[in-house]
Amino acid sequence: MDLSLIWNTILVGLLRGGLYSLIAIGLSILLGVMSIISMVNGELYMIGAYIAYFAFAYFGLNPLVAILMAGIGTFLLGVLIEKGTFRYMRRRAGEDWYLNSFLLTVGLSFFLKNVAVLLFKPTYRGIRWYWEGTVSVFGSVGISIDRLVALLIAMVSITTLQLFLRNTNIGRAIRAVSQDERGAMLAGINIGNIFTLSFAIACMMGGIAGASMLSITPAFPYMGTAPNNYAWLVVMLAGLGNVSGAIVGGLIVGMVEAFSFQFIGEGWPAVISAVILIIVLVVKPSGIFGSAVKGVWER
Amino acid sequence: MQRADSLTPRAFVSQLGLPLLMIISLATVPLFVEDEYIRHLTLVGMLFGAQAMVSDFTIGFINISNFGFAAFFGLGAYTTGILTTRYGISPFVGLIAGMLMSGLLGVFTGVLTMRLRGLYVSIMAWFMALALQALTLVMVDVTRGAWGLFVSPMFKSESILPSFYTLLIITIFIYIVIKTIIKSKIGLAFRAIGMDVDYARASGVNPTRYKMVAFTLSCAFAGLLGAFYAHFIGILTPEVMGTQHTVETIALNVIGGRGSVWGGLLAGFLVIAPFEYLKSLMAVRLIIYGGLLVTVMVFYPAGMAGLIWKMGDWLKKRKR
Repeated sequence: MDLSLIWNTILVGLLRGGLYSLIAIGLSILLGVMSIISMVNGELYMIGAYIAYFAFAYFGLNPLVAILMAGIGTFLLGVLIEKGTFRYMRRRAGEDWYLNSFLLTVGLSFFLKNVAVLLFKPTYRGIRWYWEGTVSVFGSVGISIDRLVALLIAMVSITTLQLFLRNTNIGRAIRAVSQDERGAMLAGINIGNIFTLSFAIACMMGGIAGASMLSITPAFPYMGTAPNNYAWLVVMLAGLGNVSGAIVGGLIVGMVEAFSFQFIGEGWPAVISAVILIIVLVVKPSGIFGSAVKGVWER
Repeated sequence: MQRADSLTPRAFVSQLGLPLLMIISLATVPLFVEDEYIRHLTLVGMLFGAQAMVSDFTIGFINISNFGFAAFFGLGAYTTGILTTRYGISPFVGLIAGMLMSGLLGVFTGVLTMRLRGLYVSIMAWFMALALQALTLVMVDVTRGAWGLFVSPMFKSESILPSFYTLLIITIFIYIVIKTIIKSKIGLAFRAIGMDVDYARASGVNPTRYKMVAFTLSCAFAGLLGAFYAHFIGILTPEVMGTQHTVETIALNVIGGRGSVWGGLLAGFLVIAPFEYLKSLMAVRLIIYGGLLVTVMVFYPAGMAGLIWKMGDWLKKRKR
C-alpha cells in the first residue's frame, strides 16, 4: 500500500478530528451547563462558513479577520437564540425540559437550514484557498497551508476555551453551574447570564469550525448535518458532558472516518461509526473516558 | 396500584368520543368528495398523522423520543419492497413482514439501550437510522440505492379508494391497540415511567421491560405504516430513512400534543394536507414547519390536544 496515501489519510483524519472536537465541545458545554441535547450546532457550523465566505470572497477581508467575524457572528446569533427561545421555554418547561429543549433545537435546526436554502439557494459557495500554497511534511507528502492553519485554529480555540473555563471567574462560574445549578445560584451567580454565555460559546465553536474549513468544504445549506452527527458520536464516545474527553474522542472519530472513507468506500463511515457506538454502549455505556457530569441521565 | 377503569365497553366508547367522530368523518370523506386530489391529500395527511400517533406512543408515554423513527419506517418499506419485487410475495404478507422486521430492529435497539436513560435510546436509534440509510445507499444490488426501488401497487384499480380504506383500517387498528394498552394496567406503568423513573421503580415497576414493550410496538407499527407507504408511493429511495422525515413526524406529534395519541392524527390533517398542497413553495414550507415547531415548543408545549382539553374544561365549568 502506498505510504504517502496513509500519511495523507492520517492528516485528513487529524483535521476532521480537530473540527469534530470543536463542535463536540460546544455540544458538551450545552449538555453539561444547560442540559440541552442540541441538534442545532451543525447549523451554526454552516452559518459560520457563510459568514466567512461573504467576508472573505465578497469584501476581501483578511482570512483571519473573516474567521474571527464568523466567530463573533455566530456568538451573537447564539445570544439571540438563547434570549429569544430557551429563556422563555425555561419558565414554562419544568419537568419536560430535556425533551422540550431537544425538540426546540430540532426545530431551530430545521428552520435555519431552510432559511439558508431560501437565502443562498442550494448551490456550493467555496473558495479555492485562504492562503495559497502547500508545505511538505514527512518528506514527500504535501499539505496545504489552509489545512495546517485550520488545525492550528482548532487547537488554539480549544486551548483558549479550556484556559478560560479553568482560570477566569466567569469560567469558574460556568463550571459551577454545570456542577450544581442551585448551589451556584446561592453563591450569587446570575444563572441566566451564564446560560446565555454558554450557549453563545457553544455556537461560536461551531461557527469557527465552519469558517476555518471553508476552503476544504464549501458553504452549502445542508453542510451542517454530517458534522453534527459526527460531533454527537464524539460526545457519546467520550462520555456525556466530558469536555476534555471530546478532544481525544474527536481524533478517534476523525481517524475512523478518514480511514473508512479512504479504504472501504463512500457511505461506510456512517455504518462503521454506528457499529463503534454499539460496541461502546455494550461495553462501557458511560463512554470511553467516563464522565463527571451526570445531569442528563441521572435525573 | 389502582386498576385503571377501562375495558368495559361503555367506558371505552365514551373515551373514544372525539377520535371516533374524527374517524367517522374521515371514512365518509371519499363518499362526498369526488376530487381525486383532495382524496389524495386526505390520505397523505392520515399517513403522516398515523406516524405521529405511533411516535407518540414512545414520546408521550415513556418519555423517549425515537430519533431514528424514519429508519424503522423505511426498513418496513424496503422489506416489503424487496420481498414483493424479488420473490413475488403478496403485498399483504409484505405488510406483516415489514412490521416484523421493524419490530425486530426495535428489539435489538431496545436490548442495547433500554437499561440506560432516554437520551441513549434517542441517539442510538438515530445512529441506527444513519447507518441503515447509508447501507441502503451502498448496497445497490439489493436496494438499487439512489436509483430507487420500484414497488408494485397494492391494488390494481386506478382509484385511490382501496388504498384509502386499507390505510384507514390500519390506522384504526393501531389506534385501538395503543389505546387499549394505555387504558390497561400496563399503560399506567408506562405513564409512571414517563413521569419519574425512580418513583416508578420504587413502586415495583420494572422500567426496562415496559419500555421495551412500548418501544418495540412503536417500531413495529412504524414498519407497518412504512410497508403501506411503499406500495402506495411506488418508489423507494434512501431519503425515506432520512432524519428530515423523523423530524417531520416528531414535529407533528408535538404540534398535535404529546400524550394524547389522537393529537398527532389531528395535526396530520390540519398541517400536512395544507403543506402538501403548498408543495411548490419548497423551502418556505419547511421554514414554516420549523418555525411552527419552535413556536409550539416555546409558547404552548401542550399542543393542539392541550388546547382542546382546556376548551373542554372551560365548557364543563360553564355548564355548572
